[in-house]
Parts: sequence; C-alpha cells; structure tokens
Amino acid sequence: MIKLAFYGKGGIGKSTTVSNLAAVLALSGKKVMQIGCDPKADSTIELRHGEEMPTVLDLVRQKKDDFALKDMVREGYAGVICVEAGGPTPGLGCAGRGIITALEKLKEKGAYEVYQPDVVLYDVLGDVVCGGFSMPMRNGYADKVFILTSGENMAIHAAANIAMALANFEGRGYASLGGLILNKREVKNETEKVQELANDIHSAIIGMLDRSSEVQDAEEKEQTVMEAFPAGKMAGEYRELTERILKICKEENSCLHG
Amino acid sequence: MLTRLSHTEPDLSGAAVSMKEASFPEPFVSGLEYASPARGGWNIVHQGMLIPEAHQIFVCAEGCLRGVVLTAAEMGAQRRFSMIAVRENNVLDGDMESLIADGTADILKKLPVVPKAVLIYTSCIHHFMGCDLPLVYKTLREKFPEIDFTDCYMNPIMRKSGMTPDQIMRKQLYSLLKPGKTDRDTVDIIGNSFPMAETSDLMRFLRNGKKTVRDITLCRTYEEYQGMAEAAFCISTLPASRAGGEELEKRLGIKHLYLPFCFGRSEIRKNMEVLSNELHIPYDGDRGGEELSERALAMAKEQIGNCAIAIDYTYSPRPLGLARLLLEHGFRVVTVYADAFAGEEKEDFDWLKENAPDLILHPTAETGMRVMPRSFPEKILALGQKAAYFTGSRFFVNSVEAAGLYGFDGIVRMAEDMTEAFLHEKDTKTLIQVKGWGCSSCI
Repeated sequence: MIKLAFYGKGGIGKSTTVSNLAAVLALSGKKVMQIGCDPKADSTIELRHGEEMPTVLDLVRQKKDDFALKDMVREGYAGVICVEAGGPTPGLGCAGRGIITALEKLKEKGAYEVYQPDVVLYDVLGDVVCGGFSMPMRNGYADKVFILTSGENMAIHAAANIAMALANFEGRGYASLGGLILNKREVKNETEKVQELANDIHSAIIGMLDRSSEVQDAEEKEQTVMEAFPAGKMAGEYRELTERILKICKEENSCLHG
Repeated sequence: MLTRLSHTEPDLSGAAVSMKEASFPEPFVSGLEYASPARGGWNIVHQGMLIPEAHQIFVCAEGCLRGVVLTAAEMGAQRRFSMIAVRENNVLDGDMESLIADGTADILKKLPVVPKAVLIYTSCIHHFMGCDLPLVYKTLREKFPEIDFTDCYMNPIMRKSGMTPDQIMRKQLYSLLKPGKTDRDTVDIIGNSFPMAETSDLMRFLRNGKKTVRDITLCRTYEEYQGMAEAAFCISTLPASRAGGEELEKRLGIKHLYLPFCFGRSEIRKNMEVLSNELHIPYDGDRGGEELSERALAMAKEQIGNCAIAIDYTYSPRPLGLARLLLEHGFRVVTVYADAFAGEEKEDFDWLKENAPDLILHPTAETGMRVMPRSFPEKILALGQKAAYFTGSRFFVNSVEAAGLYGFDGIVRMAEDMTEAFLHEKDTKTLIQVKGWGCSSCI
C-alpha cells in the first residue's frame, strides 16, 4: 500500500491536484482512497460531482460511535473511495483534534483492512499549525509527504514550515519529504524562487503544473480534469506528475503502463 | 462542606423512577453528574496495583493528580507510584512525548529497585493533543529493555465514548503477558478485583477437573503473573472484564469464555455447561447446590422477614437479577440504585416491570442525588456501599463487584452476608469513606 500526504498553503490547489492524481491512479486500475483532512470537507468534491457526503466528524458528533465504516465513505469517479474528515464548528472547537479523531476513527473502523486500497492519499489542510495536522505524517499513516507551492511568498513560507515540521520529526520514523510540487501562479521568477526553497530544505521540485483554464472549467462542471478533459494538456501534466511520484515511492512498474 | 445559597426547593424529579415507567438500558437522563462519597468499586490505581512488582507513573496536570495520589496513599502504595506533572509550556512547546520519556527515565533512575513492569497512565491532554504514544513506548522499550511497559489511561473526557476507563484498565492488566508455551490444564480467571472463593461453583468445578487456576489477585510475583500466559482458557465473569478476555484470545490465543456472574438458575447452569463442554469436564446440573441456595435464602428470609432492602450496582453487576431473585423468594426489595443497566439485564428488567412495577429505581450520579435525603423511614438492609450511603442505613453488606461469589454457592454466601448485615450494625461512615473497599488486600 502506498500512502502519501499532500500539504501546502490553503488555496494552493491541493485538493484539485490530489483528486486528479487519484483519478489517474484509479483509471489505471489501482484502488485509491482519498482522505480529505480539511474542515472545509471539499477535498473530494470533484470526484463525487458535488454530491453531499457526511464528514467523519459529523458522524461522531451526531452518532457518537453508532455508525459503520460505510457511512464514512462515498465512491467517487473511477471508483475512488472518498472520505472527508470534516472539522469543528467554525470559530469553536479544534481543527487539529478533528483530524486526529477522524483518522483514529477510520483506523478503528478498519477502513484500510476492509477496502485494502493500493494507494491512500491524505489531502491535508494548509500549514502544520499544531500537532493534529502532523498526524498524517506519523508512523502508520503516510510514508511520503509532498508539498504543493507556488512562487508566492506566503505559499513558500508555508512550504518551508511544513518542511521544518518534517525535519523536527527526524528520527521518529515518520514520513519523509518526497519533494515539492510547483503549482504555477505565473509569479515573476517563480521556478527560481521555488528551486531556492528546494535547495534550502535539501529537496527537489518533482513536478510542475501550469496555470490552465481547464482546471477552472472542470471545477465548474464539478469534475476532475481527468474526467472533464482527459485529452487536454493538464491531464497530461497530472499523468506525468503521478509517474514521478510513483517513481519516488519506488513503485518500479508504473501503474500507467501496467 | 457545601452551603446552600438558594432557598428554591431542589428539583429531584430526575432522581427516581418506578419500574413501570423506567426505560432500558438508561432509565435516567445523562448530564451533569454527582459523585457520592461512597465510591464502591476500585479505580484505575487499585486495579493497576494488582500487577506484582510493577510501578505506576501518572502523567497529568497537577490538579487532576490529586485523586490518584490519595488512592495510592490510602493503599499505602506510594512507593509503587510516581507522577509527571504536565504544565502549560509542555502544551505550547509540543514536547509531550519527550516529557513522558525523559520523566519516566528520571523516575526509574531514582527508584531504589528497578520495577519489573511500568504502567504509564497518560491523560486527557495527551489524547486531546494526539500525543504520539507509540513513539514514547518505543523509545522507552529501547532504552530499558529489561522493563516491560504498558499503556494505561486516565482519560475521563472519553468516559462515554468507546470503552470505559474501567474496561480499558481491566484489559490492560493483561497486556504485559508474553506469548509462550500453552498448558491445556491451566485456566485463568481474569478481570476480577478479588479472588474467586474456593467454595464457588466455578472454583470447585475447575479444581475437580484438576485444572490449575491462575488469577491476578493471587499473584505475588511478576513471574507468577507471567504464568497466566500459559493458560489455554481464560474466564471473565464481569461485564467490564469481557473486553480483556477477548483481547487475550486475539493476542495470545487463550480461548476466552465469558460466563457472567448471575442469579438465575438456568443461566447459572448454562454457564457451567459451556465450561463443561469446552473443558470436557462433566457437569451434573448441581441440584445439590441449588437446594443449598434455596435453603440459605429461606433461612435468610426467616431472619430478615419483611425488612426493606435496597441494592446498588456496585454490590453486584446484576442488580436487577438480584432484585428479581430476592423478590421471588419473598424479600421486600424497595429500591435499586443504578445509572444504567448492562444488556444482559434485559430479561430481568422485563420481569420486574411486569411483577414489581412499584419498585423504585434511583440513579447514583444524577445531580438530584446530591440533595436527596440520606435516610429511610424504617430499618432498611442495604446491599452495597452506595445503597447504605443513600439510605443512611447502618445495616449493610460491605462488598463490591460480587467479590468472590459465583453460582449457587455465591447465592448461599450472599444470603449469609445479608443475614449477618441485618443482625449486626456497622459504622457506615467509617467504612465507606475509604476509596475502593478492601483495597489493602491487593498489595
């Protein structure tokens, strides 16, 4: 089982990217589970075509422990198993604790044993502001962390913080940094700025995604790019990114050609 | 001492319900709770002390450590108890993992004797913050390979979700057992705080079958405790112990048999038949035992007559089954104190609804119980500390968790205890103010 976590500043395009990666993998025959770890609960919205689904925390709040694994998941495009951790009441509660509860509940209900996914993708909210957000990095969860960033200063700052959190956990057996994914915003000297960050954190840019209207157009249709424009330029970029990630994860036989 | 500031009459409407109006399994609304001075059963400190030669370390904010410190002190077990205080800077700095690992190492360095095992009790804050406990235990096991570590919990915020702290503690008591050879003739009795009486149906049956019986309450060394891992079977008799048995079966392959303590004749026999089939030891239905129990109840009835009787859930995990047994034998049971009932009490609940609709149920934790008068208008025999406390009775059976009782013999012993309690007054206040009755017996 390959377990990957994707971090990055809020609004950087994590959910869109992760959903498209999930679609690429699922279309190639892999069983994929995507777990959105964001109180907005919209990580998998394009995979499920906008269809409503209860979050794990909604279920915990409403039913305590009286719910089944199947209540927590929805099958999305290409059979991707979608889970949304959810979050606390806005302005109240603790989002970090919410992620901890959701991930513990998934384990407790046997999500990984029952669905036996080939790939688990954790789409994690923004910056690692507290211990709860580092949960997907821990032993037993993701093996590799990928950080999405653009050339914007705030995105780079968040990416640096995430890399620092990973460095703090060195020796604990947590996930290691797989690399940076540059989601371009057409900022001046964008690639150079992100490359500088990669150098600073002793990592590399492992993939680049161009800015494209295809992404927005697919979002309008409540679909992933892979579904809406499978022959488009961005679909090709997502396929290439998936290849690179799988190579980094030492998956020798690419799922795309398997 | 609390002083009432308001002159408004307290609302006691939620603190009593008749059987005919009661719902199952929770007859009372759950909310803000009251804890009476009559604690009844054991807490997580008492239970942890059952592992011989083990040391307990509680990691928590100082305010919350007060109760467990007092328990250890009451037991005279301070030397087996240490604490690590969590402060605000640990939350801000996020060094919870190193605080536990370094604090434990420091404690172990200072102890005069290296313990065989260490029970680390983490608390709400660790759970809330998602502290990486597996990492802490991995670090400690690598650093102290000669010591066995296990995880215990003082986590009241999770009291009503998932397993209760009591269930978890009784499960973790056996988490240190290591896999080894299996002896088909060894049987564990697990999850009890008190040894099973040698006269009980269970012990006589096992002894007759030439089985070696191991029980944590009888272990005096850590090696004896580890000997429990050799058992081919483990028996739990209390609802709170069941999860521990299931875990032992899953982890060590020790076949678990849940044979609940009960009062119904057919259920007593059914349990013994299950045991008989599993162990291949004949069981003849024990008509003699049943006759003895009937005779004991009749003799108790002669003495106790029409005296009112109150039962609480700490005395027996089957308060409704006990009420039914006594009512069926002519006793005048007037009150049962319990906040909720185990699923296995449903049949007795239905019987009482039909046959004793006026029996009054009281909660023990509902806030109205704080101001409920501690008296009863006539002499009342209380079975259990909470029943004695709430009725103000000096005639009570001072026992918890059906200590050591089982089967028809358990009914005989109980009838004798009832008679003794009815005839001889006790100093209720002195007896119940000690947390966890009988706690000194375990060290």
